[in-house]
Amino acid sequence: MSNVFGKYTPYNTIIHRLDPRIKFFALIALMVMCFLPYGNYANRFIVLGVLALIIIGIMVLAKINPLNIFSSLKSLWVMMIFLLIIFVFVQQGVDVESLHPMIIFPNGYTIYWEGLFQTLHVFLRLILMICLTLVLTSTTTPMDITYALDWYLYPLKLIKFPTQIVTMIISLALRFIPTLLDESQRIMKAQKSRGVDYNRGFLSKKIKSITTLIIPLLVSCFSRSVELSLAMDARGYDPYGTRTSYKILKFEVRDLISLIITLLIMALFITMCAYSSFYPGADNFLKLLFGVDAF
Amino acid sequence: MSKALEVKNLNFSYDNTSEGPQTLKNISFSVEEGEYVALVGHNGSGKSTLAKLLAYLLEPTSGEVYLNGELESEKNIKKIRETIGVVFQNPDNQFIGSTVEGDIAFGLENRAIPREKMIELVHKYSHLVGMDKYLNKSPEELSGGQKQRVAIAGILALNLKIIIFDEATSMLDPEGVEDIMSLIHEMKKEDPSLTFISITHDIEEAYLADRVIILNNGEIIDEGKPEDVFLDEEKITRIGLDIPFVLKVKNALKEKGIEIDKSIKTLEELSSYLCVK
Repeated sequence: MSNVFGKYTPYNTIIHRLDPRIKFFALIALMVMCFLPYGNYANRFIVLGVLALIIIGIMVLAKINPLNIFSSLKSLWVMMIFLLIIFVFVQQGVDVESLHPMIIFPNGYTIYWEGLFQTLHVFLRLILMICLTLVLTSTTTPMDITYALDWYLYPLKLIKFPTQIVTMIISLALRFIPTLLDESQRIMKAQKSRGVDYNRGFLSKKIKSITTLIIPLLVSCFSRSVELSLAMDARGYDPYGTRTSYKILKFEVRDLISLIITLLIMALFITMCAYSSFYPGADNFLKLLFGVDAF
Repeated sequence: MSKALEVKNLNFSYDNTSEGPQTLKNISFSVEEGEYVALVGHNGSGKSTLAKLLAYLLEPTSGEVYLNGELESEKNIKKIRETIGVVFQNPDNQFIGSTVEGDIAFGLENRAIPREKMIELVHKYSHLVGMDKYLNKSPEELSGGQKQRVAIAGILALNLKIIIFDEATSMLDPEGVEDIMSLIHEMKKEDPSLTFISITHDIEEAYLADRVIILNNGEIIDEGKPEDVFLDEEKITRIGLDIPFVLKVKNALKEKGIEIDKSIKTLEELSSYLCVK
């Protein structure tokens, strides 16, 4: 289970060394930037292209191969086809006059360019979001993510919400993901050696064979959790008690710089968003940048 | 010497209805302060359950456990946790932190120990168990034995008065077991009041204890000095255990008419004794 997609890889890049709080903030910020409205499709693709370049840059810095995402997530392609079918065959909006026909069938049924664009647009956003999350999870240890989360949940502490319990639960869940993946592999091998076939057969048969994996996995999860709680108890864990923290988060110059860069990127995209929505006459970045018209 | 732990008429059943199978039946024994006691028994004899009861991780169905003369109950749970520590067998399920150092620090964090002190302790104990080169490793990158070493360090770092090993060295190689045992002996030398209870089915390890308690089907069937307890070979083998190798050799030599002094316990002592002779 060495190369689980998005699993933490212990390199020593600048992205790895950043304060997890900054990474967390940048992740959310860039994700929001992916989802702001930028006007027409030409604008949206330009903006997403710029974002993609930024994200690819970050991935290269973090020593993640951006192409990995395509080979690792095969289900992405299924999703893409599914989206394409939906967006192409379902009419886009009510204002048919403003759409651009691609193919007009003899019976008057029309497929519009916008369907294709919509698919590409959603797909691109999705990939960018996955890439962003990937950068966070593969450069930050689960514990660091939890520390960051704990820091952001601070306001809830003021209203006496037990945030430390929430973060403990999350960190334990993260801690046990690889363990349970290993376990599921082990169970699958054990069941295969007893004659269960996970790969062939119709869907109904496959589902049946999956139960031979899920039930033992569930049982072992429960017994693990009992043992874990005993071990935590034995080491004096009190969910409501005061605890000190072994790890402290240090905010350094590089963190400040990346925070500023993130804020600048945010400012840029928010300006673009505002520009395209408040100046409808000049909402076309293509025209603005290259003097080219698009529909 | 005072009694560190005293168990009186302890009964325990995982089944809350009284008809269920009794895991432990009317157990009574005590452990002196500074003693090294080995609890042996084959699988399912109730050893692990007894360990959990001693540390008040389980509540007895009936009977009492006294810690330093004080009855263990929900009221003094904090004191119990600060006195007794248990290292369990499965290292995967007691690895709480996401890295070696995080895991060793977990118990220290719970006790609100200041960070500087914590770092010092983590380094000290990871070095003692031989895991100081792996501080940043996550549990998936470690072998079972290494994880057991971390679990042991996590408990030792807490500076407890009573340490219970529930087959805590089962995944270590013989050399590793020896390392850990000599570490325990050293700690006991430094602090003679340290009480150590080892639950094991490694007879060789139990043979080195001050006292051995043998459990079978939830009952104590024998208790005493190891050389006395393991004397009755037939009785020991009947309950599914084996007698220590040194004793076997001694018994075999006895049959040949060679008497060997009772004080000889380890293989090295035996071989040098025989060579001198």
